[in-house]
Amino acid sequence: MTITATPPAKIKNLPSPVTGQEIVLIGVIAVLWAALAVSTPAFLTAGSLQPLLVATAPVALVGVGMTIVIITGGIDVSVGAAIMVCSVITAKTLVGSDVNLAVAVLISVLAGGALGLINGFLIAYGRVHAIIITFGTANLFMFLGLQIFGSGTVNGIPGTLGFFGRGEAGRTLGIPHAFLITALITAAVWWYLRHTAGGRHFFAIGGDAQAARLAGVRVQRRVLLAYLTTGVLVGLASCFVIAQGTSTLDQSVGSGKELAVIAAVVIGGTSIMGGRGSVLGTFLGALLVQTVASGVTQLGWRSQLSDLFVGIFIIVAVGADLLRARARRSR
Amino acid sequence: MTATTLEKREKTDLTRLFLTQRIPLLAVLIVIVVVTFFINDAGGYLTAPYDFDYMSAALITAVPLAMLGLAEMLVILSGRGGIDLSVGAIVSLAGMLFGFAYGEWGWPLWLAIIATAAFGALLGAVNGFLVSYIGFPALIATLATFYAYKSLAIVVNNQQPISTEPIQQLFSLSRSVELPIIGQYIPDVPLGIFTFLLPTVVAVWVLMARTAYGRRLYAIGTNDVAARWAGLPVRDTRFKAYVYAGLISGLVAVVTVAQFASARPDAGVSGNGMALPAITIAVLGGVAITGGIGRVAGVVLATLLIVWLNAGILLAFVGNEGSQYQLLALGTVLVFAALLNGLTNRKYGGS
Repeated sequence: MTITATPPAKIKNLPSPVTGQEIVLIGVIAVLWAALAVSTPAFLTAGSLQPLLVATAPVALVGVGMTIVIITGGIDVSVGAAIMVCSVITAKTLVGSDVNLAVAVLISVLAGGALGLINGFLIAYGRVHAIIITFGTANLFMFLGLQIFGSGTVNGIPGTLGFFGRGEAGRTLGIPHAFLITALITAAVWWYLRHTAGGRHFFAIGGDAQAARLAGVRVQRRVLLAYLTTGVLVGLASCFVIAQGTSTLDQSVGSGKELAVIAAVVIGGTSIMGGRGSVLGTFLGALLVQTVASGVTQLGWRSQLSDLFVGIFIIVAVGADLLRARARRSR
Repeated sequence: MTATTLEKREKTDLTRLFLTQRIPLLAVLIVIVVVTFFINDAGGYLTAPYDFDYMSAALITAVPLAMLGLAEMLVILSGRGGIDLSVGAIVSLAGMLFGFAYGEWGWPLWLAIIATAAFGALLGAVNGFLVSYIGFPALIATLATFYAYKSLAIVVNNQQPISTEPIQQLFSLSRSVELPIIGQYIPDVPLGIFTFLLPTVVAVWVLMARTAYGRRLYAIGTNDVAARWAGLPVRDTRFKAYVYAGLISGLVAVVTVAQFASARPDAGVSGNGMALPAITIAVLGGVAITGGIGRVAGVVLATLLIVWLNAGILLAFVGNEGSQYQLLALGTVLVFAALLNGLTNRKYGGS
């Protein structure tokens, strides 16, 4: 690669906008949808697809942040606990004082951003392995969340967040708002990561942090930004989670979500080693996982069986990626 | 050399000792924790007495924790991002097999235990095969098998736990016993310590410190490429680390079934699961996440620290507040352990 590349050549240097993994994912989702449409006539109706899209939104949205984090070579296993903290803060605010939608979202996003900042600060400036620190902060966040919960559940949450929910208020032209917002954010981040210098820096850090630093990338700030972004998106996703639920929020909210999000990211073709990945893939990965979960229930199988398929999908998706990497090397 | 400089040097040596050697640090922390709770107990601030009897009874929770901590130590030592997220799911699935074998099919106990351990090893072998021979990143492979095993464990018996007569009687395995000869002078010790924990600790210690395999595992964890050029069977060594981790998880499955007097399909994955605490213990015990560094004694001491800390916290708060403060303690300890590792690496060069 030459440094003196002219703008057109620079564009030529970019990888193809849609990776092979993403094309395969689109194909797999299409096949699954077709198969489900044939086997269960109720699948391709608004009543079945709308909840599917709504349920995809939180995982895909947090996945966008997680993708950036993983591209920088990190990981964040505290997002499940962070969702709990943001949800309970927002839910309590909604119950306690009659705030409107914008204020509720702002509170949740600020809470998420603060948690993300803690992670980012520890990882960027403490220079310790991300998985260890986020295991630690996951425990701390869980403590914080449970303390705010007090004992038991938060009851009587008003329908303020219905804009993001499953109901009529949560849709425009039949498309759920939560899904639409997630798709827009995914598109924006996809463009940012691919077409701006700042976005490319994340890939540089994941490829070789030391080289990136010597090339003038402010590595620590970028890493901090990655975790901060994840936190902010966790905040927004928590609003989706509250909106999808009933008027009661219990302490299990967010539990296990970190693994679901990481699963979506790796199925989407993002390399856990860092330096390679795309938020579009993550979005499709989340959609695939939710399609499987929805399909398993609609076929009348045991709902826990969907986890088995998630496991198999991870193996197949990453296995295919490994084979392609081997082919690239031997070429 | 004057007396003051000598004193100064001794002091920095001591700081260095505590920063670079995890085992003395853990030992001191354990003493601090125990003394703190003894003082609190004497002052009457605890809801129940914190004494040697209580500390001994609390050891029952150390059995699965230390065993899984050792399992994580083996895979993390093997390097290249080694980690096993699936140990909790293996505990669930192997526990269900034990439930069937001993509780339903009426196998003799020894045969059921061997079968469960072997099954655990097989599940670990799947991880090892994916990681070592196919080249999956360990985090991904074990995330996938975590999902798969967890799902199978729940589906295999329609979400129902197995708690037939023989399984319920197994509860006697987790009772406390008085030791022979010295027993009357010390508190009764949970039986699981002798039947499962001590044999595992000794076996892993022998494996790591006294066999060629142990030396190979440290070698591949420290430098994968150098080990290969030195002619070591890198893949085979790493593969076996995952098999051993699965084997230990299989044994933990038996312990867990006995403890609950029931083979529960979600035994190892409910709530926070078993993998996260196990990884925490390993890291706290000084196992470097980059591989190649870690000792059995560190993991055992880290377990004792967490177990006695948690047991004390439980008495310091009323109701379920205590279990929440345990999360705070675990998180704080882990973050500080990680920051300390980072600091020592920078200050004293590390590896």
